[in-house]
Amino acid sequence: MENQIKSNFEKVISKLSFTNAQKEIKEKNIDNFLKKGFPTKRLEDWKFSDLKQIISNNFEDLNFLNENNTELKKDEIIEDLEANKLIFVNGVLFNVDFKYENLEKIEIEKNADLNEEVNQNALLNLNSAFVSNYIKVTIKTGYQFKKPLVMYNYLTEELNSSGINTRLDLDLENNVELDIVNVSNKSSNKNFLNFRQKINIGQNSILKNYSLDTNQTESIKYTHKEINLSKNSHLEYFILSTGSKFLKHDINCSLNSEYGSISLNGIINLNNDQHHEIKTVINHNEENCKSYQLIKSVLNDDSKGVYQGKIFVDPKAQKTDGYQLSRALLLNESVEFNAKPELEIYADDVKCSHGSTSGNIDENSIFYLMSRGLSYSDSKKLLTNGFLNEVIEKITNENIKNFVKKTTGIEV
Amino acid sequence: MLSIENLKAKIDEKEILKGLNLNIKPGEVHAIMGPNGSGKSTLSNILSGKKGYEVNGNIKFEGENLLELETEERAHKGIFLAFQYPLEIPGVNTNTFLKTSINAIKKARGEKELDAIEFLKLIKQKSSELKFDQAILNRQLNVGFSGGEKKKNEILQMSILDPKLSILDETDSGLDIDALRIVSEGVNSLRNKNNSFLIITHYQRLLDYIKPDFVHLLKNGQIIKSGNFELAKELEKVGYENFN
Amino acid sequence: MTTKKQEFKMDSRQKEIENLKDYKYGFSTDIENIRAPKGLSEEVIKFISKIKKEPEWMLNFRLKAFERFKQLKEPNWQKPKYPKIDYQDLYYYSAPKSMKDKPKSLDELDPKLLETYKKLGIPLQEQARLNGIAVDAVFDSVSVATTFKEELTKQGIIFCSMSEAIQKHSELVKKYLGTVIPTTDHFFATLNSAVFTDGSFVYIPEGVKCPMELSTYFRINASETGQFERTLIIADKGSYVSYLEGCTAPMRDENQLHAANVELIALDDAEIKYSTVQNWYPGDKDGKGGIYNFVTKRGLCKGKNSKISWTQVETGSAITWKYPSCILKGDNSVGEFYSIAITNNHQKADTGTKMIHLGKNTKSKIISKGISAGQSDMMYRGLVDISSKADNSRNFTQCDSLLMGNKCGAHTIPYIKNKNLKSNIEHEATTSKISDEQLYYCNQRGLNQEEAVSLIVNGFCKEVLQQLPMEFAVEAQKLVGISLEGSVG
Repeated sequence: MENQIKSNFEKVISKLSFTNAQKEIKEKNIDNFLKKGFPTKRLEDWKFSDLKQIISNNFEDLNFLNENNTELKKDEIIEDLEANKLIFVNGVLFNVDFKYENLEKIEIEKNADLNEEVNQNALLNLNSAFVSNYIKVTIKTGYQFKKPLVMYNYLTEELNSSGINTRLDLDLENNVELDIVNVSNKSSNKNFLNFRQKINIGQNSILKNYSLDTNQTESIKYTHKEINLSKNSHLEYFILSTGSKFLKHDINCSLNSEYGSISLNGIINLNNDQHHEIKTVINHNEENCKSYQLIKSVLNDDSKGVYQGKIFVDPKAQKTDGYQLSRALLLNESVEFNAKPELEIYADDVKCSHGSTSGNIDENSIFYLMSRGLSYSDSKKLLTNGFLNEVIEKITNENIKNFVKKTTGIEV
Repeated sequence: MLSIENLKAKIDEKEILKGLNLNIKPGEVHAIMGPNGSGKSTLSNILSGKKGYEVNGNIKFEGENLLELETEERAHKGIFLAFQYPLEIPGVNTNTFLKTSINAIKKARGEKELDAIEFLKLIKQKSSELKFDQAILNRQLNVGFSGGEKKKNEILQMSILDPKLSILDETDSGLDIDALRIVSEGVNSLRNKNNSFLIITHYQRLLDYIKPDFVHLLKNGQIIKSGNFELAKELEKVGYENFN
Repeated sequence: MTTKKQEFKMDSRQKEIENLKDYKYGFSTDIENIRAPKGLSEEVIKFISKIKKEPEWMLNFRLKAFERFKQLKEPNWQKPKYPKIDYQDLYYYSAPKSMKDKPKSLDELDPKLLETYKKLGIPLQEQARLNGIAVDAVFDSVSVATTFKEELTKQGIIFCSMSEAIQKHSELVKKYLGTVIPTTDHFFATLNSAVFTDGSFVYIPEGVKCPMELSTYFRINASETGQFERTLIIADKGSYVSYLEGCTAPMRDENQLHAANVELIALDDAEIKYSTVQNWYPGDKDGKGGIYNFVTKRGLCKGKNSKISWTQVETGSAITWKYPSCILKGDNSVGEFYSIAITNNHQKADTGTKMIHLGKNTKSKIISKGISAGQSDMMYRGLVDISSKADNSRNFTQCDSLLMGNKCGAHTIPYIKNKNLKSNIEHEATTSKISDEQLYYCNQRGLNQEEAVSLIVNGFCKEVLQQLPMEFAVEAQKLVGISLEGSVG
């Protein structure tokens, strides 16, 4: 596979008109990727999800050449939600629609230049090597969005055994408010998706990011987010992870100034042989910041769930308040749940704790419900929904909360 | 026993006590009353040596300059503070704590430390005198105690450590009428011609049970009026705002 | 005012110890040693085996481990990093000369050795009888004395040095040695299998409840010497034993390596309780010197209804790196791990446990209390693994960290793996500090700063201290206080 990736890369470089500086960065990145390859479980960060093996189990070859001759079937876009849209087709920006907003407050750069040093993460190397349109969106100071922004990733039916890399940076200046929804379409073909986002949240700004993986797809997917928070800013992050065959959310947040706060909540709900992982790192770099995480997993059939969460507290970050809770329900005998909740603390005046539980559904509760006339499976469903609903209730955008409840069928 | 002269105290640049004067003789019971924010708790903290205050003025305790002493040294000299909010210390048995405390004080005074048997005898005697249930002594210090239990525990500690000057910081807050009576009886049983008390309170009701010899009104960081028990009644009747 | 410290200085016998400032076990004893040639080779291993008069199978066991060792790389995944150890620059065997022909009774022991143990507060002679603890003392590489032997023999209990066991109870050793920690295990465990010199051996026969605590004291004395002891405890069906281990070392500027292997095997209905108070020399205030304590401890609950319980109080060593583990193979078996780890100054600890659930209805409990002060770094690393066959199993883990000051670190990494829907895992962790308000409250009751800290920390550790046998608990409580002296200003 490495050989094909290399020859794909050479074609991409020769076909598209990159500046020499850009070419050089890309070449460094592909070299780095080829040296390291897809991550294996020998890497601490991939201890519970061996991507190299998953890739080789699912693909004979991966095609990283992107043909941009695609069309979008209009009816597949979620129409239930009044929203602005950024639509990507097979990883390429297809449509920009900010019809509800003041366009003067939104700046979009469609082919930004890569300018960073080479990263240690092989998948980010791969991303930088292949990404063809790197998008930067800036929201100007003081602007509050009227409607949410849907980022829609559409894969066409023809796409198969392809590698898709996207990169989007989002800069919220000061006093900005924005709600984002990440969604993708159903697809029955196997593809490898590698989505990267870098987000800055300016002073007093609020970002709500709802990452919804609800449509059934055979995709093997990796999403990497790097989110930096300024003074007095707030991030609400919600993950609903139920659709992809394999999905790893790699979320890295840094509280870089005082009074920042993060509420990060997630659901993993899997069937068949799905395998999903949520990995979070919250860096408390300054005083008086708060972070709260709640991750719940429900595992059926032969599925596998993983949560790796780390809270880091710098010596400077006194008065930190950090909390992390992971709970998992194992509903079949061949499921597996792994957790690694981690605290690394170098300041003494802090309040940090984590908890993790995994196990089966409480038989006494099932018995109680059955004694009231429910069937076994209805009782189980009710209890599972109740278990997950606590996470959904953390969503503060009512429209999106209702949308999530509708899509998941979780109504309590 | 205690004389306070022109005591001024600041915390975070904010002046709380602005020249307070007070004299307490052996055997006397003084009550300090005042509205919220008048500096009542600051006074008790400064007497027991809590850090973080910028203090000016003179405090003499039995002729010694109190302000030069560490918190624990003041305890060794016989100053006891019954906390408004007694601290919880997980894992530490109340018994263990009391024994460590009493022996630290005895040692500092050059007295013989108590062995386990003598100690048990002492707490048994004291708790029966005060009609307290000994069971709480086997629990972790203040952990999971009700408000009333915490305050009773403070009074029990007071009786065991046998201080010369006891400061009761809002001991009545959060107590129901029965607990208030038990706590007051405890205090009354410790009154004698050598021991003095400084009772800090917002309300008169505690003073119905522990009759003070003197009552002082603390307002804006100064004692603006002193009198006998009648002053307390008057304060309760007309309210703090009508006194200037 | 006379303080505790001043009184301490009055005592002239204690004076030399006081001169050594903080580490009271920091004296070294001037005793003539027999050493193996420096370095690690087949010849050195043969030398060790020969001087110990070992049977051939034992030598082969060692050589097999050495072959494997040559292929292994030193691990570097752990958090505390240390300068590279030159394994050719160490002595692998050092024994007091007078031990060459082992004394028949305590009375024949070198008086200097007896004096050393007396300084350590370990009574090998008359006091031992009063305390009712059977003691095996290991000095550098060899076991020097075992007390209470006759009383134990009456009940069929074997408690002796490993060297003696290899000669006299060869079949038992051969049957169990290396079954929990195979010769092919990780780097340091394999090194130990090749060069281990002595340690304790315990066998409790079927149905016997060992009537007294068994105890081993380890002491590193010689310089440039690695200590590689090996302990093997076998509790036969329905038996019970409580075993205590204590360790000290003199103060030396260079770092010394201690890589022990401890194997426990509990058969049906048997119970082993293993307690450690580890107080190796931690190095000085600037982090110079101290012991590298890289120890492999593993217990196998082989039989049904068996139980293994580890309790450790880790206050010494420059670097501690150990994970006393339980393999819960027998149905209904129980594993427990209670730990207090304290690091001060420049100490580093990476410690925790592994609970591997293989049998049905297996239960494990982990209570870990970590305290870091000074510029030290403390890490809890643990694994709970419930396999798909371990139905109705259960783990509860509680990890609490206490930070004292702003230059130290506390790190908690639990690995939690559950492959069984009928089994439950619960993990909780907290990080906190001693609040100024708590200190003030204690000060107001007459306690000085150090007494207050010691009291609060002992309260924090209470759940673990309660697990220790009485004699050890008192010692451990004092140690907790001493280890943190000067850490709150």
